Formats: sequence, structure tokens, C-alpha cells
Amino acid sequence: MNPIGAEPYIVLSMVLFLMGALGVLMRRNAILLFMSVELMLNSANLALVAFAREWGQVNGHVFVFFVMTVAAAEVAVGLALIVNIFRERQSINIDDLQQMQG
Amino acid sequence: MEWLFLVVSFVAVLAAGMMLTRQNAVHSALFLIVNFGCVAFLYLMLDAPFLAMVQVTVYTGAIMVLFLFVIMLLGAETTTDTSGRMRWLGFVGTALAILLLIIFAFPLASNMLNDETTHQPDAQARIRVINAIPGGDAQTFTVMDMGRAMTLQETVRGNVLLDPVSETSDDTRLDGVIYEYGREAARDYIEVAAGDYTVIVGVAGRDFESAPIYSQSRALEPDSAHSILLFENAAGLVDVALLEDDISAPAVGKMRLTLFNAVTDKQVSLVDVGQYSARSTLCDDSACGSLIPHRALIEQLPAGEHISLELEAGSYNLALVDEDQNVLRTLAAYEAERGMIETRVLVREPGVPGSQSSYRAAVFNTIGAPAFGSPEAVGQVLFIEYVLPVMLVGMLLLVALIGVIVLARPDALAQAERRRVNRRRRVNRPLVSVISQQTGSNVLSGDYRAKLTGGADDPAGD
Repeated sequence: MNPIGAEPYIVLSMVLFLMGALGVLMRRNAILLFMSVELMLNSANLALVAFAREWGQVNGHVFVFFVMTVAAAEVAVGLALIVNIFRERQSINIDDLQQMQG
Repeated sequence: MEWLFLVVSFVAVLAAGMMLTRQNAVHSALFLIVNFGCVAFLYLMLDAPFLAMVQVTVYTGAIMVLFLFVIMLLGAETTTDTSGRMRWLGFVGTALAILLLIIFAFPLASNMLNDETTHQPDAQARIRVINAIPGGDAQTFTVMDMGRAMTLQETVRGNVLLDPVSETSDDTRLDGVIYEYGREAARDYIEVAAGDYTVIVGVAGRDFESAPIYSQSRALEPDSAHSILLFENAAGLVDVALLEDDISAPAVGKMRLTLFNAVTDKQVSLVDVGQYSARSTLCDDSACGSLIPHRALIEQLPAGEHISLELEAGSYNLALVDEDQNVLRTLAAYEAERGMIETRVLVREPGVPGSQSSYRAAVFNTIGAPAFGSPEAVGQVLFIEYVLPVMLVGMLLLVALIGVIVLARPDALAQAERRRVNRRRRVNRPLVSVISQQTGSNVLSGDYRAKLTGGADDPAGD
């Protein structure tokens, strides 16, 4: 039914992952940083689903499920941290968070 | 399909790029939602409908709403841009990322053009026993494999048992569980190692090798499925057929129907008669010059043969007819469910001798495995193989929940602190009462106020 193999999906997932990584490295807005992390997790999920289809194993889907759960937990905690930081210093620019710099 | 993938992936990459470059965080979040939607669509294309729905509800539904809430709550749509100093790093990073992509994508792309990925063969074959003999006295038969010392004992009339019969020393039992079925039952498939087998069916208690009812060598290929079908032939004797089953998932939106003709003196056809009417023949007139409108699905299936067809899901009025267009059996309002695999065996009902024979299409459903990526399949793996990780992830969520509450708490604590401090700073008694106690006069009384405003009498001098 589906003539496309797993490879195009893997390539797409790599592209999305690298874009997410670039976002993490280049953006200074903490919220955007989190969104980039979400993008990376999503691209990993895409690769997992593609591999699951390729091998005919549902285990890949289960892993995606776990990744989503962990991502949800991570977002909740991360956003709570961001809110606290914003209350503290009225900014979510990660360059302003230098007090732990050695 | 390729163009669909290309369009969706292009939109996904475009949305990701827009998300990275927008200065306004709200715009970024909206583009990320577009990207997640595209990924959900790709999940659908990858036969993962359940995950696609979870993606939409959890990611685009819950997580992104959380993001938007926080952005709008903080009013931090834009941040001060401090990345200006290091702007060249962005270009270097992008260049390196593209280089990395090329390094990784080249082998994949060349793979894509060259070879088909060979899957690890599942060196298991499946076999089951279908007892299609109409009810009657219990009589035990045994299906036995000599090649691999597999024994199955089947009670053909009555219950079906699985029990080793052979007393041979190297007898490896596949299963010790006793299954009980009513008549016309099929055992679930059991998995055996792929290889060459001799399937022998004999009456239990008798010597198999000398007097088997049925004996045939068959190579059970990996991933194949076979049914040992026991049925009654025209002479009333037990006959055996070894069928190869197709247990792969039917095409999307279809079901697979396998029909076996166990009526040994008739050729049957399966027809779709459209509008149902309780007819006993397909003939439109007595001389059978013309037929009522129908659509033949299976034509002239000889006795002891089987054939599979895929039906679009939906409701049908089917009829099984013999070569003289007599309707042997109608299947009115037959519901074809998508993804279903059904085996039907047309058998003659044991009736009063001499009377008109009636027929029945005994049904043996086999939904082998739930469709790949369906909620059933994912749920089975999730809650059987991965119960412990599910528990741990649940624990993680609980910890995260408590963590968020704790993180949100310090501010609330500070407010409570401030309230407590405020309360302590407040004087227990009103100031005027303290003054009146110290001066010995009622400051609130009218005469004191009169003195303050230049009155004659001095209350302190009294």
C-alpha cells in the first residue's frame, strides 16, 4: 500500500532534528529553546515510527508513546521553571542567566 | 504517494524553519503546531493511526496550549536579542548541520536506490486445527506430526483436546493446556518451528503409523499458516484437508473471506444477490432460462477446495449456490468488517436421512493479530510487554506533577509570609485606646476633643 520505504522518513527526521538542534544553539528565548527541543523529540519519534513500520514491530510505537510522556513531563517542569525565572528577573533570555557561570 | 510525502515533508520543514526564525514567540508556537500536524500526517502514512491521534491530542493539543499559555502569561513574546555578538556562529552552525546531514543522508539515499531491505525471517510457522464436522457422538482423533514429534490430540466430535498421545521418548509437547471447544470450532494458531512436517491424523488410541486417516508431508514455511481441516465427506467419513492460510492483514478497508467447500458432491459458488429475498434458487423462471441479477464472487468451487477473496467492508446479501443455481445457504445481511479474516466452511447438516439436506456455512474467525499500529496492537504490546516501563513513566509523571507544584509554590509561600508579617505589624489594640490608657483620659470623649480645639477646662488638671 505504501511504496515509500523508511529512508525518506529517516532523512526528513534528520533534517527536523538538525533544525531543532540549531534552534537550541542559536535562539536566546528560553521558550523557543524548549520548542526546539520538542521539535527534536518529534523528529526522533518520526524515525522510531518509520523503523517500526520497516520492521513490522509495534515496539517502536510504544517507545514513541514513552517519549511523548517524558516530553509532556519535561515541558511541564521546564515551563514552571521559566515562569519562576521570569518572575525573578523579568526576562527569559538565557544569556541573562549567568550567575552559575564559573 | 511520493508526491504526498514530498508535499507534507516540505510543509513540515518549512514550518520548522519559520518557527526557528520568527522573532515573536507566539508565531513560532503556531508554526510548531503546523509542523506537529504534518508529523501526525506522516504517522498516518506510516500505518500508525493511533500515534497520529495521540500526536494531535498530546502535542498540538496539550503541550502547545501550555506553551501558548506561558508565553501569553509572561507577555514574553519577544526577548532582547543578545545573539548579535555571535551571529557568525549561527552561520557556522548551519553550515556544519548541513554538512552532517549530507554525510548521513548519502548512505541512506544510496541505500534507497539500491536494495530492498531484507527482513529478519521469523522462523515460525503457524498451524491450527479446524473441526468442521457437525455435531454428533464424540470420537477422538489425533493430529500428529512425526517429523518433529509434535502431537495434537483432537476430539473431533465434541470437545477438542490437546494432549500428547504418543508415548515416544523424544516427544516434545508444544502445549500442555487442554482446550475445550464445542463442535465446529477452530483452535487458535499455535506456533511451531518452520520446517518439514508430516501431518498425520488418526483415531486416538489406535496406532497412527499403520492406520492413519490422513498423512501428508508438508514443508511449513516460515511465516506461513496452515489449517488442518477435518470435515465429513459424502460417505459420512472423516476427511482431512491441509490448507495454507493467508493471515496477512487484508488490504485497507477490506476483509478476507476464505471459503472451503466441504460438501463433497457439489460445486458451490458464492454470489452477491444484492437485494435479499428468501429465494431457494437463483433462477428467475421455472426452466431456469434467466437468472436474477447477482454478482458472482466465487465461481464453481469444487469439493475439498478452498479459495480466498477480499471483500470491501460493508453489508452484503450473499448466497451459496450449487451448479444448478439452487441456493444452498443464504448469508443475509452479511457484515464485512474491515480487517477481519474469516474462514467459512460449507458443511452439510446432519439431517434425517431421505429428507432435503440443509447446509450451513460454519464460520471460523481468525483475526490473527490486530492490524499493525492500531490501538489494539499498541495497547497489547504496551500493557503486556512493557507494563513495568508504563508504571515507571506513570511514576515519572507523578514526580513531574509534584515538581511543578513545588516549583510554583515558593511564590505562594512568599505571599503567605508577607501576610504573616503584615499581621504582626498590625497593633493589637487601636492606637487611641493605648493613648487614653497612658494619659488617663478618654481621648475619644467630646470634652477632650473640645480641649484640643481650644476649650476652657483642662481635664488633666481636675
